[in-house]
This record gives sequence, structure tokens and C-alpha cells, in this order.
Amino acid sequence: MTGTGGLLRFLLRRERAGLPWWLLGATLLVLVQSLQSQKLYGSPEALERLRHTIGGNTAVIAMSGPTRLLGAIGGEVVFEIFAFAAIVVALMNMFLVGRHTRAEEETGRAELIRSARVGRPAPLTAALTLAAVANVAVGALIVAVAVGTGLPAAGSVLFGAAMTAVGLVFAALTAVAAQVFENVRAVYGAVALILGAAYVLRAAGDVGGGALSWLSPIGWGQRTFPYTGDRWWPLLLPLGLSVLLVAAASALLRRRDFGAGLVAARPGRARAARSLRNAYALSWRLQRASLLGWAVGLGLLGVAYGSIADSIEQYIRDNPEVAQFLPGGAADVVDAYLALTVGLSALIAAAYGVTSALRIRAEETSGRAEPLLATATSRLTWLAGQLSVALTGSALALLTFGLGEGAAYGLIISDAGQVPRMAAVALAYLPAVWLVVAVVVLVLGWLPRPSAALAWTGVGYCAVVALFADSFDLPGWSQRASPFAHTPRVPLADPALTPLLVILALTVACLAGGYAGLRRRDIGY
Amino acid sequence: MATSTEAISVAALSKSFGSAKALDGLDLSVATGEVHGFLGPNGSGKTTTIRVLLGLLRPDAGRVRMLDGDPWRDAVALHRRLAYVPGDVTLWPGITGGEVIDLLGRMRGGLDQRRRDELLERFDLDPRKKARAYSKGNRQKVALIAALASDAELLLLDEPTSGLDPLMESVFQECIQQVKRQGRTVLLSSHILAEVEALCDRVSIIRLGRTVESGTLTELRHLTRTSISVETARPLAGIEALTGVHDMVLADHHARFDVDSAELDTVVRRLAPLGVRSLTSTPPTLEEMFLRHYGDDRAAGEKVAS
Ligand SMILES: Nc1ncnc2c1ncn2[C@@H]1O[C@H](COP(=O)(O)OP(=O)(O)OP(=O)(O)O)[C@@H](O)[C@H]1O
Ligand SMILES: [Mg+2]
Repeated sequence: MTGTGGLLRFLLRRERAGLPWWLLGATLLVLVQSLQSQKLYGSPEALERLRHTIGGNTAVIAMSGPTRLLGAIGGEVVFEIFAFAAIVVALMNMFLVGRHTRAEEETGRAELIRSARVGRPAPLTAALTLAAVANVAVGALIVAVAVGTGLPAAGSVLFGAAMTAVGLVFAALTAVAAQVFENVRAVYGAVALILGAAYVLRAAGDVGGGALSWLSPIGWGQRTFPYTGDRWWPLLLPLGLSVLLVAAASALLRRRDFGAGLVAARPGRARAARSLRNAYALSWRLQRASLLGWAVGLGLLGVAYGSIADSIEQYIRDNPEVAQFLPGGAADVVDAYLALTVGLSALIAAAYGVTSALRIRAEETSGRAEPLLATATSRLTWLAGQLSVALTGSALALLTFGLGEGAAYGLIISDAGQVPRMAAVALAYLPAVWLVVAVVVLVLGWLPRPSAALAWTGVGYCAVVALFADSFDLPGWSQRASPFAHTPRVPLADPALTPLLVILALTVACLAGGYAGLRRRDIGY
Repeated sequence: MATSTEAISVAALSKSFGSAKALDGLDLSVATGEVHGFLGPNGSGKTTTIRVLLGLLRPDAGRVRMLDGDPWRDAVALHRRLAYVPGDVTLWPGITGGEVIDLLGRMRGGLDQRRRDELLERFDLDPRKKARAYSKGNRQKVALIAALASDAELLLLDEPTSGLDPLMESVFQECIQQVKRQGRTVLLSSHILAEVEALCDRVSIIRLGRTVESGTLTELRHLTRTSISVETARPLAGIEALTGVHDMVLADHHARFDVDSAELDTVVRRLAPLGVRSLTSTPPTLEEMFLRHYGDDRAAGEKVAS
């Protein structure tokens, strides 16, 4: 434990520029949602109407949470925002703990710290303490915002506590992953996969009987039912699991060597394979594992969403009177759902494309670009090598989602035609995904230093516009900069070629502009 | 000054990073076939100069020619003819040293397999380890072997032996001697003076982004002082007043002083008539020479900082 206090102060200093934004982001989501929900559904009649429409809308339930929350206006807020805010908080914990444990060890900076008067578990303890502080802060801010916007105090405290508890689980989970994997990217990959699974499990559970939701930390948080049931006992699950995971992490830490993971690195090849001969081959070699992870993850998400799609059909069949009020009948409801889920997967594919494109900057600042560019490799080839992964990779990830969703949905409704159909549907969102990547390249060419911050702001903007434009009642002009807002919402809307061609033209222009910037600027500066 | 005999020619090169001036009118001339030492205190601009030569940084002002080309415009064509070892080698995690050596060699346009294997043996490097498992010295060896296994006509080496043990240091020196015999050109930035003394035909010393001295080691020595200890039959009067004599400690017939190497001849002529009984002269060591230049830099640096 020696040195934990000093280290913690040091971490707080290092985080003072980043952490407040995460806290602010999560709090703002709740604030805007609370104001918006009370404006739209403030009266008991409006809430009653909402219960009716949502009760049959499996798509919304799959996106949000269990309908029991809709019993009170505060619960409506939890219903709409809890899962998304929980994802933000989980990611905050993942980066917080990953950055200060495995990443430090990997770069060797931790060696400096360890060599000082600091105990072996000190970095892990300090990182987990920092995460705990951040989670309590997020919880407190949510309570403040909920009470401040006029929601009942008892439910608000539970709402905040549930968020803190979910955050703690992901901090502890990251702590374990940081002991298992040697490389921080693998840590993030594993935790993100579990986060995705947690979201999908609760979606499946909430649409179905509810049992699967009990396998998900997000589900545990939602099933405290703030404002509508106010039960505290489900929080024992995340708290207990966090304690177990932290114990596991420290046991693993005690048993492993500094810098090592749980699986020892095996010696590799003495000579490079014949194919490893240029910038393209190197990029694919370096990124194939992470691309595989993202593609498999999106494929599984597609399967999960595809299998839920059927219960919408079922519902409409059981309640023909509901179908009467829907302009396109049952088919439209399913298509709206499919369009929504593909749109979501396109955002994830864009996030993948951005992580891949930002590696270009990481290669530069780490000094690994230098020996490559000192060979007969031009800047264009070097850039194109890495971009080929970002562009092809995001297409592959999107395609696997479409194939997964089409296969699962097609299997259930016995229609093999859904597989090519959904694959084509998914690819309609590809130009928008590529444009996001191309904008990152433009930024890399002209504003390399803030490129990561700018890139993620862009993705965040697209996500907010896509996910919350309706529920937050955003004005039309504020959405116009997102390429996803211009993408026809197939299969619900008719496919239109013109917007896609315009987006593609912009993509090419941004890529060319980015290269023009990269060609004339200093490398590594 | 026929350009073809000059592998590198830099004149009045300037480069700033924001408001910080890294290079401030630097001159550098490296003749084809020589091993040129590139010296200067930390932060004086050696790495920056090499990055300009590699076309990674765009010069703000000045003239830069390398192998009869423009490093910025003709980067790719020039890079086929040179090999580079960075001062701080970072490798890709998950890729072995052997793979890195092969990859860099192929990207330069091919490497000599026989020499690669021979170098692996001489530097005692296990090519099957993943980058993460290499120590600092071993990472350095990976980059060195990749460069030395090529038959590039110009080697740009930025502190290539930082982190190598003395045994490996001597292997490195043998390799550079061999490169020299083959008539290839080497620009060697280094803080290891013994290495510079053993390998370099000429050196350039830079300070605060500007060249302060350039020439053969003998010429540079000439610019500094020789220590003299002398005993004479007659009293040593009047010597102290001669130009170029410094720090005289005088005791009648015995004296110790430093003399500017350029004035050595005059001073010795004045000593001879006094009846020299014994005389030892110690040429300045390389260390003394550099401490003089680097020391000035510290003083100037403090002035800038305050
Ligand atoms: N990317 C950069 N951004 C800002 N300043 C830089 C950058 N690169 C170099 N500098 C500055 O330029 C100056 C020269 O640095 P350079 O790395 O060329 O020195 P050096 O002679 O190689 O030093 P060393 O012997 O320590 O390797 C230093 O003051 C350094 O701080
Ligand atoms: Mg340097």
C-alpha cells in the first residue's frame, strides 16, 4: 500500500483535463433527458399514452429498458437514459483504470514509479480508488441533477447509486483484464466486448421474460426501478461482483511478473513471412486482431438484434388492432426497428474506423513511423496502408452486422432472402461511416495535435444526433452536419442514391485534403 | 566544391518548432566516403538535423542537399540509397526483431540475407523475440542490424550505440570500419567520445542549433590549448606575457601553463634560449575539448532560460 496516496494525487492531476468531461457528459445526458421527459410526458395522461405506445414497441424496449419503469415520470427518465449513461460511465471506468495500470506498465513509465518507494499493488489501488471517486462523483451529480429538475429525492438517490454501482463493476472488470492481457488494446477490447454483451443481454431480457437482464450489470442497475419500485437489494449484485473482481485482480497481480500478462509471450518467427514486405502488409498484420474483435462483436450484436426482431412481428400478429393504426402495418414496425439497429451498428463501425485511423497519429508520435518513412516508402503509401484497414475494416464490420442480423431474423421467419437484404441495407450506411473516417484523416493532415479529441467529438456528435435527436427534440439544423442524418433510413425509407453519392464525394475530398496536409507538414511534430 | 564529392551539404539551415528555435543557421558538410562525427550537447539539434535530412521535417530556411538530391522533394528516391538508425528505437508490439529487420530491409528495396544472419550472430541477438521482450540495447541492435545489413551508400546513425554494452560497442566499431573500407559514407551522431575518436575522419560540433567547429580531430585540437610543464636553466621571465599563454604557475626555473595550440611554435622558440632541462607537453583530450564547447553552451543556455 506504500505510496498509494501520493500516486493518487498524481493521477488526479493527470486526469484533471480529461475526467471532468466524462462526468459532464454523463450528467448532461441525464439533465437533458429529465427536462425533456417532464416537458413531453409531465402529465399523468401523457405518461399513460406513452405507456401504451411503448408497451408494444419492442424496438424501443430493446434500446432502453424494462417497461415497469414507465410507471412514473422519474422512471421514464431512467428508462430512456440509464442504459446510455451507463455505457458512458462504463467506458470512463475502462479508460481510467486501463490507462493507469496496463498502459503505464506497457510503456515502461510504471517502472519509474515502481522503483520509487511504492508498493507493488499501489498503482492498481490508486487507479481503482480514483475510479471509485469518479463513480461516486457521477452518482452524486446525477442525484443533484435529478432532484434539481424536480424529481422525487428517494428515487433520485437510488438512480445515482445504481449508476455508481454499475461503474464500479466495470472498473473492477478492467482491473482484472489489465492483469490478464499484456497489451492495453486487448484490455479495452475485452472490456468493451463485455459491455456490449451486458447491453445486449439486458435488451434480450427486457424484450423477453426478463431473466437474461439479470446477467447484465446494466440490467441490475435498471431493475432497482428508481421512482417506480425503489428497491435497493439488486445493488448487492454489482457491489458483490466488484469486490470479487478486485480480489481476483489483486491475486493475479501478486502472482505475475512486472510487464507480463497471464499468458506468457511465445517466441515468434525468426524471419518475416514473404508477404510482410510493405506498409500495407504491416498495417494489416498490426490491426488484424482488433479488426477481428470488432467484426465478431458487431456480428454477434447483429444476431442478437435480429433474433429480437421477430417478437415485434409476434406482437403485431397478437394485436391486429395496433397494426391498424400503423401506416405500413406490421412490416413497417419491423423495418423501423431494423433501420434503427443498423443505424446504431453504423455508429459503432464509425467508432472502429476512428480508432483505426487514429493509429496513424499514434504511429507518428511513438516514433514508429520514422524508420518506415526513412525507407523507400512515400507518405502516401504509408497513409494508404493504414487507411486501407480503417476503410475496408469498417465496411467488413458493418457487413458482418448486416449478415448477422439478416441470418438471425431470416432463420426465425424462415426467409433466407433476409441475409443478402440486410447485408445490402447495412452497406447503405457505409458512405456515412467512411465520411467520419475521412474527416479524421483531414484533421490528421492539418491539425494533428488535437486530432484524437476532435475525432471523438465528431463521433460523439453523430451519436447524440442519431440516438437522441427525437427524444431531446433537437432542432433540425443542429443535426445537419452528421452524415448519418442524410443517409436514407433503409429499409424503412426508400433507398436514395443521390445523398449517398454526395457523401462519397465529400469522403474523397476529405481524404485528398488530409493527404495534402500530411504531405506538407512535419512528421512527428 | 564539386557536389559529387559531397554526400551531405547543409548551409544556413533553420528550423523552429513553434517559438522554439531548434536549428539556427546550421552548416554541415560531409564528404563522400568519410565517417563524419556529429556532436553537440543534449538538445543542440542533432536529431532535428537528421530528421531534416530524412525529409521528415521541412526546413524553414537554408539549403540542404544530400546525395545530389533535395531531401524533402526527392525523399523516396534518396531513401533507397540510405539507411537510418533512430536514437530512440520503438518497435511494434507483437512483431519479432527478425521480422522488423526483414520488413525494413524489404521496404528499402532488399537486404543481404547472408549479412543479416552474420550480423545477428555478431551482435548476439535473438530474432525470435517479440518487440516487447527486448531490452533497450536489444531494440537498438534490431535497428542497427536492419541498417547494416543493407548496402546503402549513406548511413545516418543517431546515437546508434546508446544502450549497447562495451562488447557490442566494439562489434559496432568493427562494422563501421568495414563500411568505411567499402567507401560508404556515415554520419554518426554520438556522445561517446572514444567511439568518435576511433571512427571519425572529421567531426562537426554544434551548439544551440549552430555549427561551432568543424574539421578533422587534429585540426580541432589545434584550435584548443596544450598543457606545458617546463624546467629551464635560466629564470622563466617574460613568458607569461606572450600571446596565447594562459594559467601560468611559475616558480623561478619551473613553470606550468596552457598555450593556444596555434601559438605553440612561437612559445617553444622563446623557451629554447633559456636552456630547456625538461619539457612535457600534453595535447588536449577530446573530453577537454568538448567540455570547453559544451560548457559555453551551458552558460549561454542559462542566459536564455533566465
Ligand atoms: N517535436 C518537437 N517539438 C518541439 N520542440 C522540439 C521537437 N523536437 C525537437 N525539439 C527541440 O529542438 C531542440 C533540438 O532537439 P534535438 O532532438 O534535435 O536535439 P539533439 O541534439 O538530438 O539532443 P540529444 O543529444 O539529447 O539527442 C531541443 O531544444 C528540443 O527541445
Ligand atoms: Mg537526439
